[in-house]
Amino acid sequence: MSADATGTGHRWLILRLEAPLLAFGGVAIDAVGVTRDFPAVSMLTGLFANALGWDRTEVEAHQALQDRLVYGARRDRANPLGLLTDSQNAQLEARERGWTTWGRPEERGGGGQGIHRRRRDYHADACIQLVVRLDPADGTPDLDALAAALERPARPLFIGRKPCLPTHPIWAPGMEVTAPTVHAALSLLAPADDADDPPWSALWPADEGPKTGRNVHRVTALADRRNWRTGLHGGTRMVVEGCIGVSPETAP
Amino acid sequence: MSRSRFLQIHTLHTYTGALLNRDDTGLAKQLPYGGTFRTRISSQCLKRHWRKADDVHALSEIDGAEDSFRSRELVTERVIAPLRAEFPKEVIDALEPELQKAVYGEKADKGKRSRQTLLLGAPELAWLAGEAKRLAAEATDAKAAKTGVADWAKSFKDNIKALREATALPGGLTAALFGRMVTSDPAANIDAPVHVAHAFTVHAQESESDYFTAVDDLRRDEDDSGADTIQETELTSGLYYGYVVIDLPGLIANCGGNAALAGEVVHNLVYLIAEVSPGAKLGSTAPYGRAELMLLEAGDRQPRSLAAAYRKAIANDLEVAAETLSQHLGKLDGIYATGEARRHLSMADAAPPSSAPGSLAELADWAKAKTLEAAQ
Repeated sequence: MSADATGTGHRWLILRLEAPLLAFGGVAIDAVGVTRDFPAVSMLTGLFANALGWDRTEVEAHQALQDRLVYGARRDRANPLGLLTDSQNAQLEARERGWTTWGRPEERGGGGQGIHRRRRDYHADACIQLVVRLDPADGTPDLDALAAALERPARPLFIGRKPCLPTHPIWAPGMEVTAPTVHAALSLLAPADDADDPPWSALWPADEGPKTGRNVHRVTALADRRNWRTGLHGGTRMVVEGCIGVSPETAP
Repeated sequence: MSRSRFLQIHTLHTYTGALLNRDDTGLAKQLPYGGTFRTRISSQCLKRHWRKADDVHALSEIDGAEDSFRSRELVTERVIAPLRAEFPKEVIDALEPELQKAVYGEKADKGKRSRQTLLLGAPELAWLAGEAKRLAAEATDAKAAKTGVADWAKSFKDNIKALREATALPGGLTAALFGRMVTSDPAANIDAPVHVAHAFTVHAQESESDYFTAVDDLRRDEDDSGADTIQETELTSGLYYGYVVIDLPGLIANCGGNAALAGEVVHNLVYLIAEVSPGAKLGSTAPYGRAELMLLEAGDRQPRSLAAAYRKAIANDLEVAAETLSQHLGKLDGIYATGEARRHLSMADAAPPSSAPGSLAELADWAKAKTLEAAQ
């Protein structure tokens, strides 16, 4: 249970994910790259690791950060037409292979050479707001170090895929909120610029907000955890998919 | 002056009556944005044209690439030199020529002029340094070192060959810019330091269904009359906003720490982005055009595109687009005060805030200078 029993509340960073194209990659089968509705915990870990300048081989640090992330997401703006599917063609070379640090080159397995076609789904014109904290709070990095890295990242930040480049600072000084739970924090956020009319669809961990009621659509086991040592996704966590309206605090 | 980690490149390009990038139905790619459909050019399409450009500023034309002697010293400097403080001189002296031959090919021990030019990036150097250290640690004397490295070269022959293929110029330069993800080994892949957004029109899509026929000029009177083929294609006109951000330290690392080479790469990339068309249908639509506005920004704050300036579609008009971009940038400056250094070229009257105008040549030189600063 992450919610503060004293009721004083936690400090949350507010992140703004906005770009003409966003992607929250899900399980890709064959040439079809799908996107989820909300960013996965593994994607956020990668985003933060990029900001912190970590190398892909620093798997322990990635794992520790992922294990500490407590977050929720609210979609303030969605494209009414649904997802955009981009179709890509890649030319595969006959002799494409790469060296490895384990000493044997790796080649493409199976499939013919020539034109390889694949599909990639994106959210077009979306704006997602996140609230994020780290539990335990006194680890490395702490929330301030994470915020500083987002403001002055070690590398350019992208939202899910390389071409999804943000149109705004993902975090800027002052973007934070105090609240006891993810759900409470999300409820306090002011609407994004040009937001859709509320309620907005949202995702929060099952122990960080209501599990029943009119604004809960379902409680589900989400498989978005990556095992950074093996590079594979595995294991689930319980989350609530629902919606959040205007809270009493921000209602006119 | 603080070092700039990122170089952001914003462009406005006009292409008229063209079909630049198609989706699987054969129609122009689109983007719904702010309530209107725009014409879109994918980042994959843009990168391919910059990569493959046959042009005076092509990546393969970079002087530093073919003649870069410094890159031929990387094994000496970055793999062998660090071992000298730790291991006996005779062991390292025996190790070095054999390792040079294994990496750069026959006769590589005769000096750098006899070596193939390889662009060894950070992953390659890290692996080679680790292997060399292991070989040095296992060798009890010079003879053992020589035998050890010979065995190593033999058993890893295929792997070293693959490494050489991946890093030989000019292909290695393309990987340094656009990344390489061939294997499942995260320690061997190279991350792209150049991030490219999809370009899109600042206005609602302007498209025309072009009905065309092809007539057989050699047709005889007794043949059936009519055309040989009747088809339809889509042609679009657009003023496109494009955005690229370069991770300068990342690029320098991919160039084996050679900032001068990275500087040349950035210099040429600025030209390629301004001048190379992402066009298809070259023969029938001549989709050639140069950037009518290009804005470079150097800084260390989180890069952000100016796409949101055009979230509400505006007119297909360069003056309006330049004014809109400048106002949007002014607002971002007012709110976030991110303090990027700027240079721009523009055929419009409106000028981006806090930016000095210049020619394309001046912008490319400025970008190169920023790259060299990033290495200091």
